[in-house]
Parts: sequence; structure tokens; C-alpha cells
Amino acid sequence: MLDAFSKAVTAADAGGKFVGGGDLDSLKAFVADGNKRLDAVNAIASNASCIVTDSVAGIVCESPGLTAPGGGVYTNRKMAACLRDGEIILRYISYAVLTGDASVLTDRCLNGLKETYSALGVPTGNTARAVAIMKACAVAHVNDSNTEAQAGSKFRQMGAAKGDCAALTAEVASYFDAVGAAIG
Amino acid sequence: MKSVVTTVVAAADQGARFPSSSDLESVQGSLQRAAARMEAADKLAGNYDAVAQEAVNAIYSKYPNGQGRDMDAGTQKDKCKRDIVHFLRLINYSLVVGGTGPVDEWGINGAREVYKALGIGTDTFVCGLSFLRTRGCADRDMSAQALVEYNALLDYVINAMS
Repeated sequence: MLDAFSKAVTAADAGGKFVGGGDLDSLKAFVADGNKRLDAVNAIASNASCIVTDSVAGIVCESPGLTAPGGGVYTNRKMAACLRDGEIILRYISYAVLTGDASVLTDRCLNGLKETYSALGVPTGNTARAVAIMKACAVAHVNDSNTEAQAGSKFRQMGAAKGDCAALTAEVASYFDAVGAAIG
Repeated sequence: MKSVVTTVVAAADQGARFPSSSDLESVQGSLQRAAARMEAADKLAGNYDAVAQEAVNAIYSKYPNGQGRDMDAGTQKDKCKRDIVHFLRLINYSLVVGGTGPVDEWGINGAREVYKALGIGTDTFVCGLSFLRTRGCADRDMSAQALVEYNALLDYVINAMS
């Protein structure tokens, strides 16, 4: 498992180089924006249950066949497995956001996931859609841009000070996209 | 590779839980010290050759004939400096990641066995690195906090080789 820092070190080691000068600039930016990153991880972790259940409820609403006999989440057992997997994927994404590197997500979660799902007969189209809903939901929580209209009685915001989180948001979104690409 | 962040994530993964507030606190603690570590890493990267040469000089003033296989004195000194530079590079990496992962995995692990096989006492490295440990000077070389981080890693390697 790598983080933003060890990734720079691994790259330097391949050439036997020291890490200095310009190599440190991106890491200094990582440190300077460290609190934003920690807030983002907190936003995802604190709303994990909401993000996961919303995404699974979303695919079921969009494709009612899923809960019909023979559907992807027909029987409570399969629905429970689906919710569990959603939480596992979101958990590894939260790790990737914390480390600032996708390696923990790809090595420990995505590697072999597509093959496992095809062996189990999980409909990957619906799974990718659930991940896309998780992405929208997580990005909204990271930016605190969720609205009462979206969330109804479950509405809550993190309330962190607002700032420019464009780069961080794009990074968070990229990890969800990586999951979609891996299983699609 | 072991750093504060990866250690925290590995522990969270072991327990199948999301990063908790205490996990985030320990990462934040590491980030707070990061500026000093990166300053030390940057200064070391800019001056490692002269630093290594001083260590080699210290070693050869204590062990004028060097140690190890038969070879001419110039070659032996070159190889000695190469190895010191190697350790300095790993210290540079450890300063960057904020953990001892790089020196552990790529330096210390197996070092004793290798140098024993080559007939080189680890006390030669202890001598050279100990010289560097007392050579660094706050403000002249780097800020006081950066020097603390740099010296801590030198101490770590010295202890492992002692």
C-alpha cells in the first residue's frame, strides 16, 4: 500500500535519486491542504450508511426487476450482501482519499472484483450505477452541497468552513470512476 | 510502505472500519510535522555528496586501512561513500514519508548479514553516521525542528547497526 509520500519515494528509488526540490512541491501542497482531506474523509465516513443505502435504494427504484424473483437483490440475503459490498467499496475509497493514492483501493478491493461478480452472477450494470450514485452523494457531502430537497428528513451537513475544494473533489470522484471502470 | 498514513489505513482495514476520528488525528499529527521533515529532506537532497564525503573522511581517520575485501584504497573509499550515500538516500525517503519504512525495507533489513559476509564491520558505518549525527548544526544547515527529524533517523540507523 502506498500513500502520496511513498509514491514519490518509490518513483525516486527506481532511478536511485534523492527526493528534493520540485519533487516536494506536490507533497507540500498535499500537506497544506491536509485538513481539507481529513474533513473529506470524515464527511464520507460519517455519512457512510446514508451514502450506501441511498445508492442501493436508487438502483432498486430505477430497476424494479432487481427485487423481483430472479433479480439481483431478490431475497434479503442478496440485498444484505449488496449493502455490505457497497459499504466495503466506499470504505476502500475513503482509505484512498486519506492516503491520496489509489493503490489501496486497486490492490485490496478492485483486483479480481469483476471476475468475482461475474462468477456470482452479480449484474455489473446495476452495480456501476450504484457506485455512480455513491459518487454523487459522497461528492455532495464532501462539498457540503447536499440540500434539504435531496435528503428530506435525513438532511444534515458537516458544516466545515467552505473553501476551494475543486482539486480534492475531482480526486474523490476519480476513485469512484476507477471502481466503475474496474467492474464495468 | 510503512508511513503514518498507511499504518493507520492498514489498522482500519484490519478492523473493517472507516477511518475514525482518532485515525484522522494521528494523520494530522504527522502532517503538522511534515514541513520540518520536508525541509530536512530538501536540504539533504541538495548537499548529500558533501555530507557523505565527511562521513567517509571520519571513517578513514578512525580506520585508516578500511575494512573488507582486498582492493586498492581509492576503490574502497568510493564504495564506502556509495554505501553512505545509499543510507542518506533512504533517510531522505524516510523523511519524506514520515516513517521508517524506506530505511527498514531497503537499508537495515539484511544489512548486518551483507556487511558480515563482506568482512566489513558495522562499526565503520556507526562511526561515519555518528559523525554526521553531531555534525548537523541548527540554522546553519537547516532549522532546529528539521534537524531534530534528520538526527532522529540517523539515530535510528546507528542503533540498528550498533
